[in-house]
Amino acid sequence: MDPYLVSVFSNIGMISFLALSAYLLLMVGEISFGQQAFFAIAAYASGIATAMWGWPFWIGMVWGAAIAGLAALLVAIPTLRLRGLYFSVATLAFAEMVRLIFEIFTYQVEIDGELVGPDGSEGFRDIRYVYDSDISALDYMLIIYALLAVVLVGFFVLERSRLGSIFRMIGEDPLLTEMQGLNATAYKVLAAVMAGVIAGIGGVLYAHLTTYVEPKIFNVMLGVHALAYGLIGGLGTAIGPLIGVGIDIGFLESIRVISGYRMIVFGGLVAVLLIIRPRGLLDEAAVHWLRTRWRRGRHAGG
Amino acid sequence: MIDFIQNSLDGVMAGSAYGLLAIGFTLIFGVMRRLNLSYGPSIMLGAFVGTMLYLQYQSGALIVAAATVAGAVIAGMYVERLCFWAIRQGAAVASMVSSFVIWMQLEEIVTIFFPERTYAFPPLTTAEPLLFGPFFLKVENLIMFAAAVALTVALHVVLYRTRFGLKVRAVSENPLAARFMGINIGSVMFWAFALASGIGGVAAYLIVGADAQVTPMFGLWATFKGLIAMMLGGMGSIPGAILGGLLLGIVEAQTVWYLGAEYRDLAAYFLLFLFLIFRPGGIMGQVMAARETAAARRV
Amino acid sequence: MLEVSDIFTAYGKIEALRGVDLTVDEGAITCLLGPNGAGKTTLMLTIAGILKPRQGSVRFRDKEMVGLSPTRIVAGGIALVPENRLVFAHMTTRENLIAGAYLRLSKSKGAVEADIQRMFQRFPRLEERSEQLAGTLSGGEQQMLAVARALMAQPKLLLMDEPSLGLAPLIVEEIFNIIRELHADGTTIFLVEQNAHMALKVAQHFYLLDQGRVTFSGTPGQVAEDEVIQRAYLGSGGSD
Repeated sequence: MDPYLVSVFSNIGMISFLALSAYLLLMVGEISFGQQAFFAIAAYASGIATAMWGWPFWIGMVWGAAIAGLAALLVAIPTLRLRGLYFSVATLAFAEMVRLIFEIFTYQVEIDGELVGPDGSEGFRDIRYVYDSDISALDYMLIIYALLAVVLVGFFVLERSRLGSIFRMIGEDPLLTEMQGLNATAYKVLAAVMAGVIAGIGGVLYAHLTTYVEPKIFNVMLGVHALAYGLIGGLGTAIGPLIGVGIDIGFLESIRVISGYRMIVFGGLVAVLLIIRPRGLLDEAAVHWLRTRWRRGRHAGG
Repeated sequence: MIDFIQNSLDGVMAGSAYGLLAIGFTLIFGVMRRLNLSYGPSIMLGAFVGTMLYLQYQSGALIVAAATVAGAVIAGMYVERLCFWAIRQGAAVASMVSSFVIWMQLEEIVTIFFPERTYAFPPLTTAEPLLFGPFFLKVENLIMFAAAVALTVALHVVLYRTRFGLKVRAVSENPLAARFMGINIGSVMFWAFALASGIGGVAAYLIVGADAQVTPMFGLWATFKGLIAMMLGGMGSIPGAILGGLLLGIVEAQTVWYLGAEYRDLAAYFLLFLFLIFRPGGIMGQVMAARETAAARRV
Repeated sequence: MLEVSDIFTAYGKIEALRGVDLTVDEGAITCLLGPNGAGKTTLMLTIAGILKPRQGSVRFRDKEMVGLSPTRIVAGGIALVPENRLVFAHMTTRENLIAGAYLRLSKSKGAVEADIQRMFQRFPRLEERSEQLAGTLSGGEQQMLAVARALMAQPKLLLMDEPSLGLAPLIVEEIFNIIRELHADGTTIFLVEQNAHMALKVAQHFYLLDQGRVTFSGTPGQVAEDEVIQRAYLGSGGSD
């Protein structure tokens, strides 16, 4: 496969984790501008594990995702009791703090006569585990999509489960949910931790593919993009955010001709889309419509 | 001790810039209950219109100021119509994301026409810093502080002594009831937005003028400083916006002096985070809380 | 079954309830009358645990409810049919019913399914609409769904906040028939109503809440004789 396409698809795959992370929180009705923080935390944690402590990749991945999940738990507990926009700004503040801390965070060890490790704003180079293990770019892309498939299956199961219904109930009307005897805040914290882990997986993959991460990358732009993907592709199903990522990166890559005017065109298009479909292309109504058609089709002996 | 006071003075002066930005932010939020992520970029657009007149036609300060405000207002109107008015009431996240993509759009427009890293802007003043005993006071900062106070008073007069202001306050409190009173919500939101953008334009002129230069990074910077200052003071509170700005300025100044410049933004966000956890209502917390619970009665 | 004593609930500085005392007897239908803004919904939310009172006590079957989370209160046997947020609009009718039974779902899926069938028998219109999005149901159907959903929790005490609000007279009759049936089945009901005419036909005991305090307590007969209530609710004032 053309290496350029491999690279583009790998990007789409990795960013999808971030998009799904923001989407999960949108399901419970919370707008988070800060999922990129967990992306970053897992990237650094796993990079440290594989490049500095010599851990194998998969252990590093579990480690990174776990640290991200733990961070999500610690942040969620004090912030999820905040209403609406207060929570959103809190996520933004947290994510920026994480980014700024990484700008000054330095931790290096000497390996083979060279200093390896995060060096503040210089970033963290040489996360070379994947390359040193001779995993090809194509193989890595397959790894990304395999993991993405697992997460998607997880979402599929979630959406048909009691937990998924509870998440959607909370997203629609937390007070009414409480009246059914369910602890909305506890479920939101659960969703936040799950979202943190998902973003974390993406972060680990990102760090090991690009071999170099710097704090600058994990900024608010990335975080709002994560939200935007779900809003473009649709909030009715987990496929929605993926469609959003595909449209954004695919669009960005394929319309190189107008590269100087990309944001002007893209921004305008998205703004118009949001007027017509404020919950994205595959919003809940569209998904319900599709499901009824599907059910009717099957009943008609199709 | 001298350092601490000097820093506080510097902080108060810088803080008035933040306060100016926060006023516009909070005015929009009070009326729309949504964050406008395009606020910084739209007033930055105004500043660039101003700089263009300055560089192309050597226009005087007054014309540049007027152009800055006009540019900011026009950009603001564009954002309001596209991102807020056009999107139905319930879809708050759609509005905010829309304002974000338009932020990127506006930034790109600016960088296309102004590809350099920085551009000259008519300086606010050429006076030397004043000396008060052991303390320095930059005249630019003094002007900004005075302007912040003047604008707050003027806004207060508008909000509490004019019919328009009454409508704005009614819509902020309870849009449904306002509609039943015959108030045209769309029109009020439009003009409140325009007013907020105009104030933002003034803020942009003063801040950029104090620096005597404008860069494309101004938009991002302005949005976040304005947002933090607004949150510290209390969402939707105008006096809170100034107080929040001052607090932010002081904390930043002390942080830079005692810890170093690289800790400045970290301190700002940390302060915001602490406030959100322990006092989400901000400095003017109690005032806002009563209003919110009155709205909650509709439960 | 339910004893409310000296409840003070406030919204910030606004005192909505200022010392409310009342009792709801087991197996009876008790009705709370009162003008708008009197605090009726506030009282319902306080009993359900959504609002925390500043002082006072709510004892349900001899256990103190104040301070417990809504989760525990529902688990304890109180269900609320709220006034203006009736259904989960983006879920189907059937999903709304399941939602009401979520606390029990992990224990006995079969029993919940049996309950759903029972609800469909009692409310055949809901069965017709079982796969429809609840937001597309008519006002009366949504009210029915809200009642059915509350019943899915198998409550010992059912709180109903203005069930007849905004509904056509024929539908109101239906709803009150349902209330009568529930009463016949032994469910204790605490009802908030502005439609005093209908309430008089079903309730055994009445309270009047005015400006945060109970100003009247009595039987239907006493209600009919009370001048204040006559004028406000039964005379030319009438119902909505």
